[in-house]
Amino acid sequence: MFSSFIHRFSSPKSYVEITRKFFPYISLFGFLLLLIGWIWGLAFSPEDAVQGNSYRIIYLHVPASIFAQLIYFFMSICALIHLVWRVKLAAYLIKSAALVGAMITFIALFSGSIWGIPTWGTWWQWDARITSTLILFIMYLGIITLHGSFSNLEKADRLMSILVVVGVVNIPIIKKSVDWWSTLHQSASITISEGASIDSSMLYPLLISIFGMGLTLISLGILSSKFYILTREKNKKWVQSYV
Amino acid sequence: MIKIFQSEFFKLRKKLRTWLGPLLIMVLVLIAFPLSIDISQYDLNRFYFSIIVVALLMISFLSTEGIFLEDYEDGSLEQVYLVEQDFYKFVLAKVLTFVLLIGVPMAGIGSVFSILNGISINEVPKIFFMMFLSNLLLFNLFAFGSSLSINKGAILGVLATLPLALPIIILLGRGVRTIQYGIGFEGVMALMVGSGLLVTSIMPLIISATLKTHLE
Amino acid sequence: MSLITANRISYTINNKKLFHNLSFTIDAGSALHIKGGNGSGKSTLLRILLGITTPSKGKIELLKPNTKITYLGHKNAIKNYLTPIENLKLIFHQSSLESALDWFQRLGLSRVQDEISANLSFGQQKKLALIRVLAAPADLIVLDEPFVGLDDSSRNLLNKYLQESISKGSSLALTSHIRPEIISKELMLENFSND
Repeated sequence: MFSSFIHRFSSPKSYVEITRKFFPYISLFGFLLLLIGWIWGLAFSPEDAVQGNSYRIIYLHVPASIFAQLIYFFMSICALIHLVWRVKLAAYLIKSAALVGAMITFIALFSGSIWGIPTWGTWWQWDARITSTLILFIMYLGIITLHGSFSNLEKADRLMSILVVVGVVNIPIIKKSVDWWSTLHQSASITISEGASIDSSMLYPLLISIFGMGLTLISLGILSSKFYILTREKNKKWVQSYV
Repeated sequence: MIKIFQSEFFKLRKKLRTWLGPLLIMVLVLIAFPLSIDISQYDLNRFYFSIIVVALLMISFLSTEGIFLEDYEDGSLEQVYLVEQDFYKFVLAKVLTFVLLIGVPMAGIGSVFSILNGISINEVPKIFFMMFLSNLLLFNLFAFGSSLSINKGAILGVLATLPLALPIIILLGRGVRTIQYGIGFEGVMALMVGSGLLVTSIMPLIISATLKTHLE
Repeated sequence: MSLITANRISYTINNKKLFHNLSFTIDAGSALHIKGGNGSGKSTLLRILLGITTPSKGKIELLKPNTKITYLGHKNAIKNYLTPIENLKLIFHQSSLESALDWFQRLGLSRVQDEISANLSFGQQKKLALIRVLAAPADLIVLDEPFVGLDDSSRNLLNKYLQESISKGSSLALTSHIRPEIISKELMLENFSND
């Protein structure tokens, strides 16, 4: 029964039709939230007692870091669905998400480096979290490269899915790295179990930025996946009438 | 299973450059490093171990490059599948053969070079055991990388799996520090033994699925 | 009695259908000759029969449990750096090695037994690869272009062996541009393509 549920909602055609309806709202809402969060955080939040104004990069860096990992987690769920139920759409979503994931991981690394200068006096520090994020970035590139190396795209989809599932072991290492190794990196500002360790005047714009970035990335992912689906399914009649 | 293991051992033994080549390259790399620096300026003992660790990493992926390529290209993989219906035993036998013929000597070479750079001879069994376990993990991982890229060249497989090898290197580095400082070795070893057993039993399943995908 | 049934098999690669809605049976003691032009999917269909390749749609069913299958595809599955005898020792268990060595002699390969397999001619390598099929009686024999590269005497030997196997109850599925001498059912793949 679950299998037939999966197959009913996994048609690329249904996906394109459904996302077409919701895309304008998701993208507009996400963009607005991001704008509000950033303006609030950059212009109206108070200065940090220790870091001064340099802390404000968290409104870019923290959401980027969170989604760098979440996107990979999403890819691993899609990979499992593709491997178990052979759902094509899941593979298309992995490929599209990998591009978005690579981009946001790069932004996380770059913004982290910029933050490092005033905070640690260095562009780079070989601590566990930063190094794990760099490894994650290379993993995204490895996944994209692997898929692009095979002319048989169904084979490429399966190999990519296998690699994503095996690579997902890196995600808990990133998450737990602050606990497992002594590190220069700031301990997580927000944890699920313990609540936030920053003031609410900084926390609220941060949360808004996180949600805004999430919706923006979803809309980017929708755009990327739609383009990819139309390319892969170009021989199908529904694509020819859609285009 | 014994017959598969004997076949793999026989085949690898016949291909001298496949198993001897990486060992000789490892020796050359370990010799090359001191030649590239001013050894009067640096206390080599303090960081030479890191060179051995990096050499293990490089030689592991060099050794397992093309581990399945020959069987894929000459059609042997299909014949294995027809008989066994999966590749688990075949992969396990192949990886263990590589570990025995290449990984164990690599651990030996690493141990010898660590003595030459100041490690006490009493520590050698610990170093050897630690390097052997690292090789077991690395060979399994890079065999997976080779199975992904199969006939697309080593670079692709390494790019896909090298990031996953770095936690093993972190663990090996930690193991090295426990030997240098004399505490915590047992804990790190327990972690490596557990990881080694887990990876050695699970990785052939994953590689088997990957090889099946290539055959399709 | 049917040995294999194929039910509405389709195969798609890169979103292009190679063949679709293909249904057939292979009975025990019968042969199926799969025909078609280059790129029509003959080798792919054989691999689907063997379970090596999964069809995009449809099912293949082996009706006899523990069906013994032998297969020779385009690739010979021999190790170029080993001698022919070493290759046979890798392929066969001790119990069936004698039969393999007997076929080795019958195919005229004794004079090259000390050569490395890479130095054998194309036809000699093909004969060596064929021993895998000839020396191992099977319920289902699957062959992909088995006659290519064989001299007349070896071709006759192979035809004779296949005929004997079929009369003993084995089944055969093969592709061949050279018409086999065995009486067989024919399956034309072009009839099941998209065009």
